[in-house]
Amino acid sequence: MTFRRKLLAVFSLTVFLSVAAVAFLVSAMTRRAFDKADNDRTAALVTQFQREFERHGADVVRRVETVAASDAVTRMATMLNHASTDSAGYFELAKSLAEGYQLDFLEFVDARGNIISSAQWPAKFGYPESAFDNLASSDKQSAFLKQEELQDSTALGLFAVRATRVGDRPIYVVGGRRLDKIFLSGLDLPSDTRALLYQNRGDRFSADLLVDASTPPSSNTRSADKLAPIIQAVQQYSQEMTSVIHWSADQADDEVFHAIPLRGNGKDRPLLGILLVGNSRRSYVELKRHIRASALLVGGGGIVVAILLSSWAAARVTRRVERLALAAQEVTAGNWNTHVEVSGGDEVAQLAESFNRMTTELLNQKEHLVQAERVAAWRELARRLAHELKNPLFPLQLTVENLLRARQSDPAQFDEVFRESAQTLLAEISNLKAIIGRFSEFSKMPHPQLQDVKVNDILRAVAQLFQAQLQAPGRAPIACHLELDENLGTIAADPELLHRAVSNLVLNAMDAMPEGGALTLHTTREDGKIIIEVADTGSGLTPEECERIFTPYYTSKQHGTGLGLAIVQSVVSDHGGRISVQSQPGRGTKFIIELPRNPDTLRSVLATGGVSQGNG
Amino acid sequence: MKRFGWQSLVISSLFAATLAAAQARPQYGDTLHVAMRTAPTTLHPADSTQPDSFARRNLTLLMFETLLTTDSSGRIHPALARSWQAVAGNRRWEFRLRHDVSFHDGTALTAEIAAASLRAANPSWNVSAAGDSVVIEREIADLELPAELALPRNAIAKSAPDGKPSGTGPFHIVDWQPGKKLSLAAEENYWDGRPFVDAIEIEMGRNYHDQSIALELGRADLVEVAPEQAHRASMDGRRVSSSEPMELVALLFTRDVVTPDEKLLRDALALSVERASMRSVLLQGAGQPAAGILPDWMSGYGFVFPMETDLPRARHLREQVRAVPTWTVAYDPSDSIARLLAERVALNARDAGLSLQPTAGASADLRVVRIPLAAAEPWIALANVAAAIGLPSPKNNGGSAEDLYSAEQGLLGTKRLIPLFHLPATYGAAANLRDWSPRPDGSWNLADACLGNEKQ
Repeated sequence: MTFRRKLLAVFSLTVFLSVAAVAFLVSAMTRRAFDKADNDRTAALVTQFQREFERHGADVVRRVETVAASDAVTRMATMLNHASTDSAGYFELAKSLAEGYQLDFLEFVDARGNIISSAQWPAKFGYPESAFDNLASSDKQSAFLKQEELQDSTALGLFAVRATRVGDRPIYVVGGRRLDKIFLSGLDLPSDTRALLYQNRGDRFSADLLVDASTPPSSNTRSADKLAPIIQAVQQYSQEMTSVIHWSADQADDEVFHAIPLRGNGKDRPLLGILLVGNSRRSYVELKRHIRASALLVGGGGIVVAILLSSWAAARVTRRVERLALAAQEVTAGNWNTHVEVSGGDEVAQLAESFNRMTTELLNQKEHLVQAERVAAWRELARRLAHELKNPLFPLQLTVENLLRARQSDPAQFDEVFRESAQTLLAEISNLKAIIGRFSEFSKMPHPQLQDVKVNDILRAVAQLFQAQLQAPGRAPIACHLELDENLGTIAADPELLHRAVSNLVLNAMDAMPEGGALTLHTTREDGKIIIEVADTGSGLTPEECERIFTPYYTSKQHGTGLGLAIVQSVVSDHGGRISVQSQPGRGTKFIIELPRNPDTLRSVLATGGVSQGNG
Repeated sequence: MKRFGWQSLVISSLFAATLAAAQARPQYGDTLHVAMRTAPTTLHPADSTQPDSFARRNLTLLMFETLLTTDSSGRIHPALARSWQAVAGNRRWEFRLRHDVSFHDGTALTAEIAAASLRAANPSWNVSAAGDSVVIEREIADLELPAELALPRNAIAKSAPDGKPSGTGPFHIVDWQPGKKLSLAAEENYWDGRPFVDAIEIEMGRNYHDQSIALELGRADLVEVAPEQAHRASMDGRRVSSSEPMELVALLFTRDVVTPDEKLLRDALALSVERASMRSVLLQGAGQPAAGILPDWMSGYGFVFPMETDLPRARHLREQVRAVPTWTVAYDPSDSIARLLAERVALNARDAGLSLQPTAGASADLRVVRIPLAAAEPWIALANVAAAIGLPSPKNNGGSAEDLYSAEQGLLGTKRLIPLFHLPATYGAAANLRDWSPRPDGSWNLADACLGNEKQ
C-alpha cells in the first residue's frame, strides 16, 4: 500500500471513528434521556392515576352520600323502620336512583345485611350482602376498591358505604362506579401513553379480564397474552413491575409497561386489579433511527470529504516524497547525478536538500574513488606487468650475458652456446608474447550475444570438457558432481561466454584442490533468478582474499594473472547478474552466480533469433 | 218560609235525581282510544302465525263473533248460534245460526260461510252446512267442542273483496295499518244492538310505560298495565282492573327428559324456586304462585301442588347427580319481568348447587315463557297449554275433577314445565270510561262501554 493510500485510510478512519463515536454518544445520551423521561412520565401517570382514583373516589362518596340523604331513601328508611312494612315495594328504587345519580352500582341493604334493592343485580333482593364483614364499620370510610359480583360476571369498582339512619334500623347505601373503559378513557393521559386495567380473578391470566380503553391498532394485532408475564409477576410478587412489551418485530411498536397492583379493603387487602400504564417507545425509536440515519449520512459525507481532503493533503505531502523516492531509484540505478526540487521549508524540503547534498557528495566521492581506483589499477597493472615482464626478462638477460661470455671465453663452444641461448631467447620471447596476449584478450572482452540457453547443458558440457583433466594420471583425482534442477528452463544468455565463465571457475577449483577432492556443479531457481553454484573442497580463502578476489590482476596463485575471476565477473555482469563467493579456509570455496531469467528479453530473443547485450 | 223551604228541597232533590240518572245512563258517541303492546300484522282470527295473547283475542272479538261464548264459570251461551245439539254420542254437533246476522260488508251470515270459516280455522274438522245449521262431525266424542267454538280463533270470518277479513262483530274496520294502528267504527246494524261508542282507535306496539303516559295525558282511555305495576298504579290513584289469573308463567325445558339424572336436576330446580319472594318483590304481589298448570280458581285443586321452596331436598337431589351441567335459561329481552325471573331462578338454583346462566338468546336449555290460558274452561285451557309446549292434548273422558287433575299431573310429569305463576290481564282505564270492566277471562267487552264527561 502506498504512503498516499495509507494516509488516506488513516484520515478516513479517523473521520469515521469520530462520527461513529459522536453518534454513539448522542444515541446513548438520547436513550438515557428517554429512559428518564419514560420513568418521569410513568411516575407522573401513576401519580395522576392516584389523583384520579382519589377524585373518582371522592365523587363516589359524594354521590352515595347524596343518595343516602335523598328523600326517597329517607322515606324508605322511615317506612322500613316499622316492622309491618314490606321492603318489596322498594325493589326498583336502587335502579332508578342509580340512573339518577349516575352510579354503576347501588344497593340498599337492611340492618340485617340483606339486600333490599340492587341496581346491578335486581334479582338479588333478599340475599345477604356478603362482601362486607361489617357494614356499620364501612360507613364513613373513604372510597375503596371492591370486586362486585354480577349476574354473569364480576366487575371492579370504586365503592363507598353510607347509612341512612331513621330510628334504630339503618339502611346502608352501597354505591360505586365501575372501573372500566369509561373510567380509563376519563384519565387525562399524555400522548403515546395508555392505561389498561386487569381484573384479577384467579391466578391464571385471561385476556378477557383486560380492559383497554385505547383504540386497538388496525395494522397489527396486539395479543393481550404478551402482557401475561408482567401481570403474573405482579400476581406472584404483589409489587409494582416494569417490563418492555415487544408487540411486533418493529421496535417502534414496543411499549414500556408499568404494572401497579390495586388492592381492596379488608385484612388481607386482596389484589383486585392491576393497572397497566404503557408508554410507547415509538418516538424514542424513531429519534434513534433518525440519529443513526443522520450519523450515517454525516459519516458518509464526512468520509467522502475526508477522502477528497486527504487525497489533496496526501498529494501535497507525498508528491515531494514520491519525487524523492524516484530520485532515490535513479541513484540506485546508477544515475548519481540526480537532484530533486526543493520547495518550502518543512521536513520534506529539508529531506530533499539533504538528498541533493548526499547525491552531490556521492558523486564527488565516486569521482575520487574512480580516480583512486584507476591509479590503483594502473599501479597494479604496472606492478603486474613489471612482475610478468621481469620473469622472462631475467632469463633473457642471463642468456645474453652467457652468450657474450661464451663469445669471449670459448669461441669453440660459442656456436653451441649460441644455439642454446637462441632457443632460450625464443622461448622467453614467446612467453612475453603470451603474457601480452592475455592482457590484450582481457581488454577485448566481447559483448554477449544472447540466445535461448539451457544452463544445465552448459554445465554438463563443462563437466564433460574437464572430465579427463579431473581424472588425469599423475594428479590426485577430483570427483565431479552435477546437481542440476531439471525444471530450470532456459534463459537469454551468451552460451560461449557463460561456458568460459564456468570453465574459469572449474579451473580455479582444480587449482584449489591439488590434493584432490570433490567438485560440485549445482543449479536451482529462485525468485525469477537462476542460481549456478561451483563448489570445491579445496584449501579455501581467507575473508581478505574473498574481498579482493574479483579485483583484476589480483591472484592468490603463484603463477596466476589475476584475470580469470575478473573475466567471470565481467561475463556475469554483462548478463545482468551478480557473482559472490562463500569460503572458509581449509574447507573449500563456493562461487555463486545469480542470473536473471529475463523473460521479456527471452521472448525478444526467441522472436528475433538473438540480441547483443551490453552495458553501455 | 217553611213551606217554601220544603218545596225548594223537593224540587232540588228531583233535579239532582234527574241529573244523576242522566249521568248514569249510557251515552252514545265519541271515540274510544286504546293502547296495547301487541302489534299484530293480521286481523284474521284463525291466523296461527300470530302468537296468542289477550290483546289479540280482544281485537278479534271487537270485529268477529263466535258461534258460542262462555262465561267466567265456563258455561256455554249462544252467540251466532242460537241453539245447538249433539247427537251420535257427542260425535256430531249441529249449530243452528241466527237469521238476523250480517257481515260488515252486508252479506248475510249463512251456514256455508260459517262452515267455510270453521274449516279454515280447523282443517282437521269435518264441517258442513245443513240448511241454517253448521254441522261438525268428529271421529270420537268431543265434549269440549262447544267450548272450543267459543275460542276467538274460531270466530266466523269471511274475506271481503278488498282482502280484508269481514266479521259480524259490533265494530267494523275503517283503517288498518298492520302492527301500528287499527281504526274501528260502530256497526250500526249490529244484531245485538249498536255499541255506545262511535269508534275505537287502537295504537299498537306501545310499551307499558308509553301506555301509562298516554293514559296520564288523556290520549288513551284504556291501556294495558303490567301486573307488577298494578299495585303501584292503584296506589297512585289509577283505575286498574284485572282479570282472573289467566296467564301461566313457567320455566319450559326445550327438550324432554332423557336421563334419570336430568329428571333429578329438574326436580331440584323446581324445589329451589322461591315463588313467594318473586311474587312479593318482582311481581309486587300480582298474580298467584303456581305449581300447577291451571289456576286454582279454574281447577279448584291448584293448592295441592307443592309450591314451597325446599332447598335441603333440592340439594339432596342435586347431590345424587355426579356431573351437573350448566343450563342456559332464556328470556324475552323485551319482557323485563321475564329477565328478572330468569335471574332470580338462576340465583335460587345456585343455592341448590345448580348452575343456570340467563341469556337473551334464542337457543337455551329452558325458557321463561308466558302462556295465555285459552279459555276459562279448564280442559280447553289445559289442552291449549299442552299444544303450546308441544305435548299431546289430554283427553276429556268425562269432565270430572279427578280426570282433569290426572291430565294435568300427566303433563307436569313430563318434567318439561315448571309452573311459576298465574298472572291476570290488567288494564288501566280512564275515569270517563264507563260501564266497563274486563271479563274474568281478560276480554275487554267494549261493546257495552261508553265514554262520559268525567275528568281524570
